Amino acid sequence: MTEIHPTALVSKKAKLGDNISVGAYSIINDDVEIGDYTSIGSNSVIYNGARIGRNVYILNSASIAHIPQDKKFHQEYSLLFIGDNSTIGDFTTLHRGTEATGKTIIGENVIISQYSHVAHDCLIANNVFIGSMVQIGGHVEIDEYSILEDFTSIHQFCKLGKYSLLQTPYKASMDVPPFICASGKPLKFSGLNTESFEKYKFDQKKIDTINQVYSLLYFSGLNFSQAKEKIKNSLPNDEVAFEVLDFLDKSSRGIVGK
Amino acid sequence: MANIHPTAIISSKAKLGENVSVGAFSIIHDDVEIGDNTSIATHCVIYSGARIGSNCKIYQGVSIAHVPQISKLQDVNSFATVGDGTTIHEFVTIHKASKDGNYTSIGKNVLLMAYAHIAHDVFIGDNCIIVNAVQIGGHVLIDDWAIIGGSTPIHQFCKVGKHAMVGAGFKVVKDVPPFVLAGEDPMKFVGLNSVGLRRRGFTSDQLDTLKKVYKIIYDSGLNVSQAKAQIKNEFPSDLLVKEILDFIDNSKRGIIPG
Repeated sequence: MTEIHPTALVSKKAKLGDNISVGAYSIINDDVEIGDYTSIGSNSVIYNGARIGRNVYILNSASIAHIPQDKKFHQEYSLLFIGDNSTIGDFTTLHRGTEATGKTIIGENVIISQYSHVAHDCLIANNVFIGSMVQIGGHVEIDEYSILEDFTSIHQFCKLGKYSLLQTPYKASMDVPPFICASGKPLKFSGLNTESFEKYKFDQKKIDTINQVYSLLYFSGLNFSQAKEKIKNSLPNDEVAFEVLDFLDKSSRGIVGK
Repeated sequence: MANIHPTAIISSKAKLGENVSVGAFSIIHDDVEIGDNTSIATHCVIYSGARIGSNCKIYQGVSIAHVPQISKLQDVNSFATVGDGTTIHEFVTIHKASKDGNYTSIGKNVLLMAYAHIAHDVFIGDNCIIVNAVQIGGHVLIDDWAIIGGSTPIHQFCKVGKHAMVGAGFKVVKDVPPFVLAGEDPMKFVGLNSVGLRRRGFTSDQLDTLKKVYKIIYDSGLNVSQAKAQIKNEFPSDLLVKEILDFIDNSKRGIIPG
């Protein structure tokens, strides 16, 4: 059953699913779509352009799909998507896109903790965990199952690969390749993200390959292009090697050193 | 015509200009002045002592002129001013000054991004950009056109000169002279903020002069007072150079090292 607190201001034009709940003093603007079973806490504001999935938990005082903090933004139309089963913490700010891509995307099963900020045109894939006070700049791409620990920040246009982990309280201003932990100032490779490998039950063969790929990349004395060549030759048709090489090819800011 | 939401609570003593808009659930206290065309979004609280200019945009959940975070402080009769055309994003907290009659001052056309905190007695010049989650301590001075990168704390009583840029994720505990780019941990001089200066129309000759001055300060083996004497001899009448020398003279915490 849909429960909307009498003090909440919900636009008649908003498209609301079944069984949603909206807390006290929350505001839902006109151009908003919210899926079934989604719950919104008190004092939150859902601005125009929000497209929220099913079974999403939005806690108190969140700001969803607010206009970007980009000096190039001129009130153009854009959207913000939140996938099913995601949780958005207290005081989080998620901004909609700019004309560059037109949308900010937050995937399914994502957890974003309190005070975190996701800027315009970001792409956050499924099952990502974002700790508290994490500040993510514009156009950042974070791939599946990545973890951003508390107080981390990400420079605009950076990419984080699958199953990567950014340790508290460091800042990523270069790309973090898949499967690794990164920490330090400036940010460096600090080992493989073995905890996630255990959690998601990687088989030993896959872990060995990841080990092999990163020994070549970081500990063989080769530079990145030579190491890439060697990985390509020694592990042809390998899924993990392909994932890492593909990430390296797409990296525009360069990857973190060791 | 003023556009005030029926759920907003506005003191009859507050002085609101023409075309001021106030969103739902916002509260405006007695001793407040707000200029023409300023818009205040939802869930904001503007406390007594706030003096807000015209054409400002204040977004969700902002707190302006709140009591300073000083232990044992009783309520003071002080002010917080916000200049014309300034934009303040979600959940920014601006505190009023710590002594009766004093001001915390934010300049014109400033951009304060989400979660920034401006403590008591802070002075921020015109056209500054304060990025997400920057925490500014008491009595800090940030001069015109300076940019403070995201998640950077600034120690109380520090100064940041004109056109300086502070990198994201570091910590300011000494004074950052004008025109420079500062970064790393502990914070040091990284170079001239040449991109910012060119954007603002500085000529190559001017950049050359600034480069020479900072070479004398940071790269000549002289101590700061010797460097000052040499700069005074070499550039006796240059206004930009005078800006740097004045900054060093007024620096109480010492300038950042090279």
